[in-house]
Amino acid sequence: MAAGPYNYSYIFKYIIIGDMGVGKSCLLHQFTEKKFMADCPHTIGVEFGTRIIEVSGQKIKLQIWDTAGQERFRAVTRSYYRGAAGALMVYDITRRSTYNHLSSWLTDARNLTNPNTVIFLIGNKSDLEAQRDVTYEEAKQFADENGKSIFRLSGENVEDAFLDTAKKIYQNIQDGSLDLNAAESGVQHKPATPRGPISTDQAPQKEGCSC
Amino acid sequence: MTEREGSEPPSASSQAANPLSRKLNKILETRIDNDKEMLEALKALSSFFTDNNLRTRRNLRSDIERRSLSINEDFLQTFQAVKEQLDSVYSDVKAMNDCCQDMTSRLKAAKEQTHDLINQTTKLHAESQKLQMKSQVADAFLDKFQLKSEEVKSLRGNRDGSLSQEFFQSLDKVKKIHNDCKVLLRTNQQTAGLEIMETMALHQESAYERLYRWAQNDCRTLTGDSPDISQMLCQAMEALQDRPVLFRYTLDEFGTARRTAVVRGLIDALTRGGPGGTPRPIELHSHDPLRYVGDMLAWLHQAAASEKEHLQSLLKKCSVNEDQIHDVLGHVTEGVCRPFKVRVEQVLVAEQDAVTLYKLHNLLKFYHNTIGQILSKEAALLTTVTEIQDLSHRMFFNSLNCHANKLLDKVELPPPDLGPTSSLTQTMQLLRDVLACHDASVVPVDDKKEDFKRILSCVVDPLVQMCSVSASHLNTSDMAAYMLNCIYLMQTTLALYEYTDTRLEMLQAQVDAQLDTLVNEQAAHVLNSAGLADIYRSVQQHQSKQGPLASLHGCDASTVKTAMSRFDSYLANPDSVIIPQFGLILSGRVRDSIKKRAIDLICEAYKLMYEAIFKSTNEYKEPQGIVPRTPDQVHKLLS
Ligand SMILES: Nc1nc2c(ncn2[C@@H]2O[C@H](COP(=O)(O)OP(=O)(O)OP(=O)(O)O)[C@@H](O)[C@H]2O)c(=O)[nH]1
Ligand SMILES: [Mg+2]
Repeated sequence: MAAGPYNYSYIFKYIIIGDMGVGKSCLLHQFTEKKFMADCPHTIGVEFGTRIIEVSGQKIKLQIWDTAGQERFRAVTRSYYRGAAGALMVYDITRRSTYNHLSSWLTDARNLTNPNTVIFLIGNKSDLEAQRDVTYEEAKQFADENGKSIFRLSGENVEDAFLDTAKKIYQNIQDGSLDLNAAESGVQHKPATPRGPISTDQAPQKEGCSC
Repeated sequence: MTEREGSEPPSASSQAANPLSRKLNKILETRIDNDKEMLEALKALSSFFTDNNLRTRRNLRSDIERRSLSINEDFLQTFQAVKEQLDSVYSDVKAMNDCCQDMTSRLKAAKEQTHDLINQTTKLHAESQKLQMKSQVADAFLDKFQLKSEEVKSLRGNRDGSLSQEFFQSLDKVKKIHNDCKVLLRTNQQTAGLEIMETMALHQESAYERLYRWAQNDCRTLTGDSPDISQMLCQAMEALQDRPVLFRYTLDEFGTARRTAVVRGLIDALTRGGPGGTPRPIELHSHDPLRYVGDMLAWLHQAAASEKEHLQSLLKKCSVNEDQIHDVLGHVTEGVCRPFKVRVEQVLVAEQDAVTLYKLHNLLKFYHNTIGQILSKEAALLTTVTEIQDLSHRMFFNSLNCHANKLLDKVELPPPDLGPTSSLTQTMQLLRDVLACHDASVVPVDDKKEDFKRILSCVVDPLVQMCSVSASHLNTSDMAAYMLNCIYLMQTTLALYEYTDTRLEMLQAQVDAQLDTLVNEQAAHVLNSAGLADIYRSVQQHQSKQGPLASLHGCDASTVKTAMSRFDSYLANPDSVIIPQFGLILSGRVRDSIKKRAIDLICEAYKLMYEAIFKSTNEYKEPQGIVPRTPDQVHKLLS
């Protein structure tokens, strides 16, 4: 049977965090809809998107929660960190303040997720090179200094940020550091093999009635 | 021969003139070396005529004849054998001919005999072809209108109730046959059509029943975090669409299984948390109402979104409407209502703090909106959120009212500086905190307006009342100053927020009333301190029948003049004469306004007195000396 859009063996839950206006919703939209959305209104609370990707031949469904960056939603969005397998932490390379706030976002991410959550740092709006306010090297150093929790700093490609995070999570599953059986690990596994026959208590009852 | 002719005496050619010469000629003309026959004959002769003598020459003829005879005898003998052989060949051929004749006749007879048979076989052959054709048609018909035994078998499923992939193909076929029968009914094969239709209907019913039971059982197992919705279950749902009741029941079964899963998930998140305890169990934060309730709501929001996805993947092959999806989702999320509600109610009932209650209320409202984007408005979870929201609303206003009642129960006395009491300051801080919740909140604006109105009337009305009560033992000026100060604090607080305009207007009316009191007080104070108060009163009340003003007691020229000169020294230093409450008023604007309006009153009074003194019927001599300044001059000096 052809693999339909619903066939997948894992679900990974992601959250996207970062200051308002850094382009979180655009990232999500670009990843799920594959097109750039120029006039994106501020997110109210949280929004939700999904897409199925493939890692090492496994189909994985990403369930992505895009949070609002506005301060007034902070109390609400904090509740969504629970059970995220991946956190994309976004700043805007043309606004230093959004970079400066990363440590506070990182603290939240560390406190509110589980120890295996893969955190991915994204310097967004890299198309606005002329207005760059934070150098790549500086951000790289930040990422390295916090290396234990930050998995990587993204380059240009939106796709890669989502895919690389998934690869890392998958790797964690493979080497056993992520326990699939624990609740709220942010990963749900569906056995891909078809289920064996299930017995029913009254099935043969009507056996001889037809034809 | 030629030799013989030649050697014969020329008896026959006696007519010739000279036979001898002719003979000689002939011999001479003979070309022996060219005549092969002659040469052969001579050769043969030389083989046996060896001795040429008379005797032999005499015998030559007989010898030749004897030789010829023996040769002929040999020839004859040889031919005799040939002839015998030919005779035998002849007899053989004849026998063969006879045989052939016999065969021909027999064949002929046989042919006559088989003619019928052949006819018969041709006929039979044609018939057989026809039958074969019919059989093909019948086979095709059976193929189209009957199930093969393995199809029947697959329709019956296995003993354990499991189904094979072929089940669905067979079911499709049964369905198709049943449909095709309708075509059959239009032909003259109605009986067959009806019979087949009935059989297929029976097949279908039992197959759907079996399918339903299988799907129901499969759904029952889907109680994990992430349900393993098999391809086959999706197919089953697709097929069951033809039996809406069974479809509905299966969806119910699915809903029930997921409902169990969601309840367990919530309880796990509440009490167990994630792997190794991170994220921590939600209940660990039960001391922090906002976080506790917020975490639960966020969990429910995410669960609702996930469940919708699960349901969509179950129904990916079906065409269902939004209502059905909403129904099932409502069912799935119904189970968490109780555990959720119980916990939030506990929080709300235990919470005293109005600000926290209001924040909780806004949070619930926000999630009602957010979750409402996934579930329908009728979903039990949403009604539960609404109920809790109503409770939080009530608890919040209870808390505000409670606070207000406390204010009125134990009214504080005004402090000596006539400033706002600490309970007023505290209440205003509370109001500020409550209204500030809205800036940080996530709720649509129209709700905000309604809430603001109610909050304001809940807090401000009792506050104003409290201030009046607490001021009731003060004298008029103190009361006015105190009220002005209290209202000033309220105004400055409210002015920072939206939707407070009507409230501010009402407060302004109170301000104006208190302001009038103080303006009158101040004007009276100035006139009193100059000793002009009595004179002014007399001027105001003076009637011509009383006689000239100057003759009235206390209004004589010298008294008036003394008072006016005292008034003049006030004009030199207007700020020196001021009521004591003036300095206690907090609002600079109010102070200015009192000052200005009091001056207006004073000028008016001065003008009245000035005109009365200059009026000739009042009989003041030298009015110029009594009131040296014109009202205009006074006005200029004071302003
Ligand atoms: N030039 C440029 N502009 C971008 C990029 N990504 C986003 N933007 C713009 O940045 C603005 C904000 O983007 P959003 O995606 O709404 O930002 P957000 O982080 O979701 O903001 P909140 O929802 O308020 O937290 C939008 O006007 C986008 O057009 C980018 O890669 N390049
Ligand atoms: Mg956004």
